[in-house]
Amino acid sequence: MTAQEVRLCGLLLREHFGEVVEKVGRHLIRSGAQNLRTLLHETGISIDLVKKSLCVLVQHGVCVFSSGRKGPGSPTEYRTSCDRILRILRYPRYIYTAKTLYGDTGELIIEELLQRGDMTMSSTVKTVADRLTQNMEEGRSMDYSEVSSAFSKLVETHFLQRCPPMAAAATKNGAASATPATPATPGTPSFPDCYRVPHVTLIGKGKRRLSNEDGEDQRSAKRAKIDSETHGDEGIYWQVNFERFHLHFRDQAIISAVANKLDQTSSEIVRTMLRMSEVTTSPTATCTKPLSANEIFRSLPSSYNIARPILDQYLTLLVDDPMEFVGKAGESGGGMYVVNLHRALANLARATLESVVQERFGSRSARIFRLLLRKRHLEQKQVEDFAMIPAKEAKDMLYTLLSQNLVQLQEIPKTPDYAPSRTFYLYTVNQLPTARMLLQNCYKTVANLIERRLFESKESKRLLEKSQRIEAILASLQASGAEPEQLTEVEEMITAPEKQQLESLRLHINKLDSAENQVDETIFLLESYINSTVTS
Amino acid sequence: MSEGPHLLNQNFNCVCVCVCVCVRIKELCQQFPHGITDQVIQNDMPHLEPQQRAMAINKLLSLGQLDLLRNSSGLLYRMKDIQSTSKMKGSDNQEKLVYQIIEDAGNKGIWSRDIRFKSNLPLTEINKILKSLESKKLIKAVKSVAASKKKVYMLYNLQPDRSVTGGAWYSDQDFESEFVEVLNQQCFKFLQSKAEAARDSKQSPMVQRNSSFATSHEVWKYICELGISKVDLSMDDIETILNTLIYDGKVEMTVIAAKEGTVGSVDGQMKLYRGVNPVIQPTGLVRTPCGLCPVFDDCHDGGEISPSNCIYMTEWLDF
Repeated sequence: MTAQEVRLCGLLLREHFGEVVEKVGRHLIRSGAQNLRTLLHETGISIDLVKKSLCVLVQHGVCVFSSGRKGPGSPTEYRTSCDRILRILRYPRYIYTAKTLYGDTGELIIEELLQRGDMTMSSTVKTVADRLTQNMEEGRSMDYSEVSSAFSKLVETHFLQRCPPMAAAATKNGAASATPATPATPGTPSFPDCYRVPHVTLIGKGKRRLSNEDGEDQRSAKRAKIDSETHGDEGIYWQVNFERFHLHFRDQAIISAVANKLDQTSSEIVRTMLRMSEVTTSPTATCTKPLSANEIFRSLPSSYNIARPILDQYLTLLVDDPMEFVGKAGESGGGMYVVNLHRALANLARATLESVVQERFGSRSARIFRLLLRKRHLEQKQVEDFAMIPAKEAKDMLYTLLSQNLVQLQEIPKTPDYAPSRTFYLYTVNQLPTARMLLQNCYKTVANLIERRLFESKESKRLLEKSQRIEAILASLQASGAEPEQLTEVEEMITAPEKQQLESLRLHINKLDSAENQVDETIFLLESYINSTVTS
Repeated sequence: MSEGPHLLNQNFNCVCVCVCVCVRIKELCQQFPHGITDQVIQNDMPHLEPQQRAMAINKLLSLGQLDLLRNSSGLLYRMKDIQSTSKMKGSDNQEKLVYQIIEDAGNKGIWSRDIRFKSNLPLTEINKILKSLESKKLIKAVKSVAASKKKVYMLYNLQPDRSVTGGAWYSDQDFESEFVEVLNQQCFKFLQSKAEAARDSKQSPMVQRNSSFATSHEVWKYICELGISKVDLSMDDIETILNTLIYDGKVEMTVIAAKEGTVGSVDGQMKLYRGVNPVIQPTGLVRTPCGLCPVFDDCHDGGEISPSNCIYMTEWLDF
C-alpha cells in the first residue's frame, strides 16, 4: 500500500460511502488485519458507527473477516485490500461494457449490483424491472422474465457470480463466530456452484412508480423488508465478477491494438480466437489454448466470408508480425495457433511507456528511449551515434530522462577502484520498474483529479444550492399547474452570469470525470502487465 | 641475411677512392631503380674492400642521396627521388624524422603527443618542427570531430579519413541535424506511400504485405534521385537513417536471405523496411495535465502547488 494508493482509496471511499467509512477504511488499509476493539480504540469513533461502516464495507466485499490470529476463540479480524477499493474507479467502465454487450437491461443489472454490493437474484430482477418500466412509455412495462433471462446470460458468461457462502451469519461484534469457510481474500471463489442460476419463480411485471405515490413508496419500501414473499433463492447472493470484466477489457485492448497495427480483418480473426477461448483459458495463462485453423475458420462470423487460403495467409502474417500477438503452436489441423497474452500485454505496456515519454519530453527523447529499450545497454557515445542526434542535445535529453528515473545508469568498472575515468557507464531501461513507477504516478493523477473536482464543487456550493432550490420550486409549481409568467419569474431568479458559471462548472466537472476514466484505462493496462509478470 | 657493411671508423686516406666508388654506386642505383644489394656492389667492384664500400655508402646516405631499405634478403640501397631530396634540403634530421612519422600515419593523422613518443624529441622541438613543416606546406592540421580541441597532423595532399571528419553527417565539425531530419522525413514518406499503395491495391494480404516492403537499396536509389544531398551517400548511411526511423517506432525491418548477386544484397542478406502504424493511441495519462506536469513531484494537497490551485488544470479546464 503505497502512500498514493492510500490517498486515492481514501478519496474514493469518501465519495461513495461518506467520511466515517473513509476513516475506518483508511485505518484498515494502513494497519492490516485488526479486530473490532483495536479499531474502536484507534479511530476513536463510536461503536455504532464503526459497526455500520464495517457492515457497509463487508456488504460491498471490500472488507473480509476471518478468525483471529490466536485461533478459533479469538475475536474476528477485519481486513481490507487496496485493490478492491481501486476497482470503484472502474465502475463506469463495467457498466458501459454491460450496456454494449447486453443492452439496457444488462446495464441496469450491473449498476444495481455495483451499488448494493450483493443482492439476491429475485430482488435484483424486481428492482431492475421497476426501473426499466419507469422509463418506458405509458401502458408498457418490463416483464420479469426478460430481466431474468438477461441475468442468466450474465451468469452464463461468468460476468456475475455467487458470493462465497458463509458458514453462519457472522455477528459483527467479534463474538466467537464459527470459523467461516471464506477464503481470506475476496478472490476468485472456487466452489462448484459459483455460476449456477437457481430455480427462481418470478412471475410478474415491473411496477411503474408515479410521482404522487412517493410517500406511499417509502412505506412500501419499508414494508418490503419484512415482506415474506419468497422466490426460492434465499441466501444466494450474487456479486459482480470483476476478474471476468478485466479479461474482457484485456481482450478488447489486444483486438484494438491488432486493428491499429494491421487491419480490420486481422483484428476480427483475433477476436474470434479470443472468444473461442474465453471459458477455456484460465485468467493467469500465458497464452490461450491452441486452436486449429479449421476451428477458427468455422467460427468466424458469417459476415466475413473469407476464403480458407486467405485466412491461412492472414494467420501467417499475424504470426510473422514482430509484435507477436499470435504464435504458431503446431501443424495439426491445418496449423495450431495461440494468442500470446502475456507478450501482448508486455508490448502494450511498452507502447504506453513510450507514449508517455513522447508526450512529456518530445519525439527525440522518445527515440532515445526506444533505442535503449531495444538495445538494452549503451554508452553515451553509442546513443548519440545510433539516434543521430547532436552530442550536446543527446546528453541533455539523457540526463533529463535520468533525473526523472525513466532511464538507469549501470557502472562497469575496469579497475577495482571505481575511478570515473576508467569505468564504463551504460544507460539502460528496465521495463517493469518503470511501469510500476508510472502506475504510482497514475494513482496520484487520479487523486489530483478527484480533489480538483471536489474543490470546484465546493467553490460553487452556494451557487449549486441556489440552482437546486430554484429547480425544486419550478418543479412544484409545474406540478401544481402554475401559469407561464410565474415560471419565467422564478427562472429569472438565476442571473445570466450565474447561469454561465453553472454551465462552465458543469463542463469542468464532466471533463474531470472523463479524464479520470481515461487515466483508469492506463492504470488497467499497467496493472495487468505487472500482474502478468508476477505470476509467470 | 648477409651481414652488410656497418659503420666503421673512417679512413681519410681513401677519400678519393671513396668519391669514385660513390659515383659508381650511384650509377648502379640508377641502373637498378628498385634498389641494389650489397652483393651487387661487390660483384661490380670486386677489388673494393668492405671498409671502403661502407664508407662510400655512409657518405651517400648522409648526403641524402641514397635510401636504405631492408627486405627479406638483406639491405637494399635505392636512389632517392630528386624531388623529395630537394624538399628536404635545408631540413635537418629531426625534421626528416618527424616527417617520416607523419607520413606513416597515413590518412588518419597523428597527434602531436604521439609524435613525441615515437621520436623521443622534446615538446618544444616538436612544435618548432611542426610549425616549420606547416609553413613549407608539407603537412597540415585537421581538427578531429571526436574531440574538438585535438588536432591531428597528416601530409598536405592527403584526404582525411572518415573517422576524423565524421563522414557524411558532419560538415566542418558540425553535426548536420537538419540534413539528417530532412533525410529522415523523406525516407519515411517514401515508405509510407509505398505501404499505402499496397494497402489500397486490395490484393491478397500476403501480396499486400510483401509489396509494402522496400529494400534498403531501393530507398538509397530514391534518395539519390531526389538529389537533396550534396554529399554522396552510401547504402550504409541510408541504413543508419532507416535505423533511426525504427527507433522512432514508425518503421519495422526484416532480414531475408537473398541470392548473391541480386542488387543490394550484402553477404547473401537483404534488409527490408516497411512503414507501420502505431499500436496504441496516446495513452490516457498524457491527456491530463498531471501526466505532463513538470512539477508533478512537488504537488501535494495544501501545499504551494496543489490540485486545487493548479494553474495548468485551470487552463486545461477552460480549453
